[in-house]
Amino acid sequence: MSNFWNVVGFTVKNKIRTKSFIVTTVIIAAIMSLGVNLPFIISQFTGDDAATESTVIGYVENEAPQVTDALTTYYNNLGEEADLQLAGYANEEALREAISEGEIRGYLIFEEQAGQAFPAVTYKAETLSGGSSVSLMSALQTVRNDIILEESGLTAEQRAALLEPINLNSTQISTETGTETVGGETGPSGLAMGFVYVVIILLFMGIFITSQLIATEVTSEKSSRVMEILVTSVAPLTQMFGKIFGMFLVGTMQIGTFILVFLINVMLPHNQEMLAGIDINLSELDPMLYVYAIIFYFGGYFLFATLFAAVGSIVSRTEDLAQALTPVTILSMAGFYIGIFGMTAPDSTLIQVASYIPFFAPFAMFLRVGLTDPALWEIALSIGLLLVSILIFGWLSAKIYRTGVLMYGKRPSWKEIRKAMKAYKI
Amino acid sequence: MTMNPLIVDNVVKEYGDKTAVNKISFEVEKGEIYGLLGANGAGKTTTMRMVLGLIFPDEGKILYHGKPYSREQLQMLGYLPEERGMYPKVKINEQITYLARLRGMSQKDADKNLRDWLERFNITEYYNMKIEELSKGNQQKIQFIAAVIHKPSIVILDEAFSGLDPVNVEQLKATVKELRNSGTTILFSTHRMEHVEELCRNITILHRSNTVLQGNIKEIKKQFPRERVILGTEGELNGLEGLSGVRQVKRMENGYEVLIERPETAQDLLRHAMAQAELTRFELLEPTLNEIFIRSVGGRNE
Repeated sequence: MSNFWNVVGFTVKNKIRTKSFIVTTVIIAAIMSLGVNLPFIISQFTGDDAATESTVIGYVENEAPQVTDALTTYYNNLGEEADLQLAGYANEEALREAISEGEIRGYLIFEEQAGQAFPAVTYKAETLSGGSSVSLMSALQTVRNDIILEESGLTAEQRAALLEPINLNSTQISTETGTETVGGETGPSGLAMGFVYVVIILLFMGIFITSQLIATEVTSEKSSRVMEILVTSVAPLTQMFGKIFGMFLVGTMQIGTFILVFLINVMLPHNQEMLAGIDINLSELDPMLYVYAIIFYFGGYFLFATLFAAVGSIVSRTEDLAQALTPVTILSMAGFYIGIFGMTAPDSTLIQVASYIPFFAPFAMFLRVGLTDPALWEIALSIGLLLVSILIFGWLSAKIYRTGVLMYGKRPSWKEIRKAMKAYKI
Repeated sequence: MTMNPLIVDNVVKEYGDKTAVNKISFEVEKGEIYGLLGANGAGKTTTMRMVLGLIFPDEGKILYHGKPYSREQLQMLGYLPEERGMYPKVKINEQITYLARLRGMSQKDADKNLRDWLERFNITEYYNMKIEELSKGNQQKIQFIAAVIHKPSIVILDEAFSGLDPVNVEQLKATVKELRNSGTTILFSTHRMEHVEELCRNITILHRSNTVLQGNIKEIKKQFPRERVILGTEGELNGLEGLSGVRQVKRMENGYEVLIERPETAQDLLRHAMAQAELTRFELLEPTLNEIFIRSVGGRNE
């Protein structure tokens, strides 16, 4: 057992001190910090004019007074939240002059349309930024509705009733457990979606990237021949699982760092306000979701790590590793993509089947747990299958590892490995 | 009688239908360097791997201090592999103490031993360096330290001196002798016969999985007839070829080298030569290990 911890300690100590590891971690943490703070940074640059004076849009006075007056009223009613203001000018030349002098951003041209109550509108500006057009579009929509409703002669009550937003009450039910989740939230909430999305990406990173590191380490130990000394000093099984566990600690530390960096950034006072605006509250999530995330991280990691270690052990040169890893890489990629693309249809047959296939289960079952409401036995079955396959593949990988570390030369075929296993009495 | 520390008894190893090692047996005493010789592919590495417990024999047994192989035995084994292997990017003190701890040493003892060894080789400044920063000869010394740092009672040296300059060979050879004198049992494999003659008492020559020659070097040499006579003379010798039992006569710078069929011919040769000229040297040479090796291995190559 002490040798196990020796291997773990050595693996962790050497990995976290390599330049590549430190650089990757710092870069990803920096990108994350930048991403979280980006809205704030942008608001710092554009902040002042956006907050105090809104963009001014010009129009030709008396061209379509009914519409322009209504638009002006619309933006005036918005008060401080108004992102646009209107200003009248004599003619189009005056408007062009106003643009070149920076008084207005762009201007509107109205043209009467035959048989239509509402004129055709053209927005002209030097830069057609999306914000102004979107704002104008919704403003014009409201104005047009008002004008048409005005003409239709409806009473104020009728108009109010017509414009009232539809109130759809949704209730998530489960036909298996018979539970009903009544509440204002509809189906999988945006929060749960976001959380599942993030966890699936983290799972993929934790499982795939770390497993690949294991394979690389094993192969490089083999190619530098230090393996021959290692296998005479410590049982290959101890060595393999020590390395897997060591890398697990390294991977967890890395992900932990990212989560910590993310949380610290979110906690910063200037980001707090913004978050309050979006209304995200992580404590609203079912705590079991966190537990499942950790369980599937564990399960997925140990399943793939043993496979990657086994593949790493049969390759003698690092150059050949990527090719040899292709099958297991595809397997883990498939799981990841099933998870990502399944987000839109978490209860499809594909996801249901995939959630019982151990290689895909960490992604697919977590997706189901997060977005739908699978029965407890379904989750238990999925996790159970995952554990059983960890044992089976762990055992198989250990055998391959034990054989592979002593085989040098070109990459052996399955037949050769089986022959060698028999010869080595493994 | 106490048992020898390392006993290899009728060991057979087969890879599929190919026999890698066929019934090899030998014993190594305490404080002895045992030579395991053979051409490439003769079965040396397989034999060593079985002694190391990396692969298991199909038949026969290997005993360490009278006990069969177990995980605990590993701690008294030291191994210097033919292909050098260390972590290129890990500091020397870290990897050596790591390997020592894997074999049951405490960090403190391992560190102390490492410092002692570095001092002995006069390379204390390498303590904090990485393997990839060292010259090949010094890498070899570090590799050697890794094999013996835990004071193993049985050491397996596979081509210990290959790729070293003469100065380093002598230094390492002296260290190996010291180990032997302090009672370490050493299994030694090499192609270089002069090292074997200098270091080993007993040898086994393997050829194509089979033991072709085994025993004490002196005894082995006695089995091979003395067939070479050196005659040192300034003058001219005639009629040597005419003597019965002479196979070949070679004219050398300071005399003649004569190959004879049986040792008795040497006396006739001496008498014949003395009658003709003044001799400065007469020697009946025993065969070198190199010749014995080539004869016992090469002769069967066809």
